[in-house]
Amino acid sequence: MLCNTAMPAPVSSEERIEVVSNTDMKVMSYRDALHWTMRDALRCNDAVVLMGQGVDDHKGIFGSTSGLVQEFGSERVMDTPLAEEGMTGVAIGAALNGLYPIQTHIRADFSLLAMNQIINLAAKYKYMFGGKFQVPMLIRMIVGRSWGQGAQHSQSLQSLFAHIPGLKVVMPSSSQTILDTYPMVIADYQGPVISFEHRLMYDLNFHVDSQSMNHGSDPFGSHLLRQGEDVTIVATSIMVLEAMRAADHLAKVADIHCDVIDLHCVSDPDWDLVMQSVEKTGRLVVADTSWREYGVCAEVCRVVAERNPGYLKQPVVSLSMQPSPCPTAKSLEDLFYPDLHQFVNAVAKLVLGHEAHEVQLPDTQSMVDVYKRFKGPF
Amino acid sequence: MNSMTMFERLFFQALRIRLVEECIIDLYPSDVIQSPVHLSIGQEAVAVGACHSLRHRDLMFCTYRSHAFYLAKGGSLNEMFAELYGKVTGCARGKAGSMHLAAPDVGLMGTSAVVASTIPHAVGAALAAKRLNKAQVVVGVFGDGATEEGVYHESLNFAALHGLPVIFLCENNGLAVHSSQKTRQHYDILGHAQSYGLPVYAISEGYDFVKVAETMSEVITHVRTIQGPAFVEIQTFRYKEHVGPGEDFSCGYRDVEDCQSWKQQDPLERFPDLVKAFRPIIMQEIDAAVHFAERSPFPSIEELLCDVV
Repeated sequence: MLCNTAMPAPVSSEERIEVVSNTDMKVMSYRDALHWTMRDALRCNDAVVLMGQGVDDHKGIFGSTSGLVQEFGSERVMDTPLAEEGMTGVAIGAALNGLYPIQTHIRADFSLLAMNQIINLAAKYKYMFGGKFQVPMLIRMIVGRSWGQGAQHSQSLQSLFAHIPGLKVVMPSSSQTILDTYPMVIADYQGPVISFEHRLMYDLNFHVDSQSMNHGSDPFGSHLLRQGEDVTIVATSIMVLEAMRAADHLAKVADIHCDVIDLHCVSDPDWDLVMQSVEKTGRLVVADTSWREYGVCAEVCRVVAERNPGYLKQPVVSLSMQPSPCPTAKSLEDLFYPDLHQFVNAVAKLVLGHEAHEVQLPDTQSMVDVYKRFKGPF
Repeated sequence: MNSMTMFERLFFQALRIRLVEECIIDLYPSDVIQSPVHLSIGQEAVAVGACHSLRHRDLMFCTYRSHAFYLAKGGSLNEMFAELYGKVTGCARGKAGSMHLAAPDVGLMGTSAVVASTIPHAVGAALAAKRLNKAQVVVGVFGDGATEEGVYHESLNFAALHGLPVIFLCENNGLAVHSSQKTRQHYDILGHAQSYGLPVYAISEGYDFVKVAETMSEVITHVRTIQGPAFVEIQTFRYKEHVGPGEDFSCGYRDVEDCQSWKQQDPLERFPDLVKAFRPIIMQEIDAAVHFAERSPFPSIEELLCDVV
C-alpha cells in the first residue's frame, strides 16, 4: 500500500540531512520530516490534495509545504479562503467522493472555527450512517509557543478532539514519529485523523532510521523510549523531549531511572504499555502540552484508577500549563509552562518521597530558550 | 408506467412520498417509530422534480427533512421504514433514524440534523468530481434558514471561485422552525447568490413537479456541460409542524388560509381521481415495507461499538 519515495528526498533544507554513520541513521529536522511526508503523499497518491491557508505561499506552513505547489500545481496544493468550517466541510465532501484531503491550520486555535464539521460531521459520518461511508483525511494543527503567541495562538487542543468518538488524535514528538505515522495514515487509514504538530520542534534535528520507517509499525502506537525502574513518565509532543532531558539528568546526578512513554496517539493510547510500566515502577508522572483539567493528565489518571490504582505507591504528579489563558509577556509565559527545573524537582520529590531530596536541579531556564531556533514573529 | 405521461409519472412519485409520510403519521401514536420525524408533506414536488433528471451516480447531500429526497433519489423503502423502526435492516443499521437517511448506491450521500452543515460537503464532492473527472453533478439541498449560516456563504464562494459542478438547491418553505423568513433575513436570497457570480433560477410554484423537473433538467444540463455551479430557489409549503406528525396552525405563528390557498394549487389535492387510481399499488408497497420493518430484528449489542472508527 505504501509507496515511499527514496529517503532522503530533496527537502526544504537539504543541509540538515547528513549521514552520521554507515548505518541508516540520518539527521532530519521535524520540518523536513513533515515536508518529506507531504511530498511523498502527493507523489504516491494522485488523490491527495493539500489544502489550507498559505500552503502555497513563500513561507509554506513554516517550510513544511514549500515548493510543493510548483511541483504539483495549484489544483493539488490549494490555498483556501479564510473559511475554516467551510473548508473542513469541503474536505469531508471531497473525501466522500474519492480524494484524500490534507488540511492545515497554521495554528490549532483556528480549528475551533471548524468544530461543527470536525465533531458533528467528520467524527460521526461512518457511525451515523451505519458504516456506509468513510472520511479519510488528515488535519494538521500547529501548536504555537513563545515569542508572544498569547492566548489565541498557543492552545494545545488535543483533549477536545480526543474526547470525541470517531476521531484519531496524534501528537508527533519527533521526525521519526512523523515518518512512521503520516505515510501509513494517508495510505491505509480510512477515517479522520488530527495531528498536533508543535511549532517549537519544527527547527529541531532528530536522528531518523530510514530502514525502520513505515515497515508495519502501528501509526497509532505509543512508544516506550527509555527504561527505568523508579518512575513512569507519560508524555506528549514536546513534553516527551522534556521528559527525556529530565530522565537523563536524574540518571546522571541522582541514580534515578525513568520509564519514558511517548503516548503519541492520545485518543487511543496503548494503555497496556502504560499499566505495565506503572506496575513496574509504582510511580507516575504525566507531562502534557495543555491544561491538566479534563485533559490528557486527567485521562491517564482515570485509566490507572480504573484498571489498578493499587499499582501506585504514591500519588500521581502532573505537569502541564497553568490554569489560565496563555499570557504574552515572556516573564509570565515562562511561569505559565513548566520548565526542566520543575520537571526534575517533581520527579525527584516523587521518587525520594520528600521535598528536601537534595538532588541537584538544573538551572531555571525557559524551555523556549532551549528549543527555540527562531526569532519571531510567528 | 411507460405509457404514463411525465405528469403522471411525477404525480405517482410525489403521491408515493406523501402516502409514505401519511403512513408514518398513522403509525406514530403507536410509538413504533421512536425518532423525531420532519415531514416533507407539501414539499414533495421539490424532491421529485429535482431528482427527475439526476442519474444515480450524481450525488446529493440533504437535510434532516429528507424522506422525500431519499425516496425520490431511489432509496429503498424497506430500508427506510426499517431505519425508522430502529431495526438492523435499516439503511444505517438503526443508527440514523429519520434524520440521517443515506443511500450511497443511488447517490444520496448523507443528511444532517445541523442546519447548513452538508452544503460544503456538496461543494467538496464536486471538487473531487472535477479533479477525478467523474462527470458527476452534485446537489446540495438546504432550507431558507441555512442561508443565514456562515458556512453557506463560505460554500458558495468556494464553488464559484473554483468553478465546481454543484447545484445549490434552496427549498424555501419560509420557516425556520416557527420563525418566518422576514424576521430573520435582511437580504434577498437570489440576489445574494448572484453576487457570487452564480447563475440563479427561481421557481415560485414549488407544488408544480413538472415545472420543477423541467427547470432542474435545464440547470443540471447546464452544470454538467460547463462544469460550474448554479443556484436554484424553489418556494414551497410545509403543511405539518416543524417536527412531528401534527398540524400546528392553531399555534398562531402562521395562517391556515395560506396553507389552504397553497393546497388549491397542489396536484396531489387537485386530482383525487389520480390519487385513487395510484393509491392501491403504492399502498401495497408501503404495507410490505412496514411488514419488513416489523419483522426485522433490532440491532444487537455488537452493533453498539461497530463502525465508530
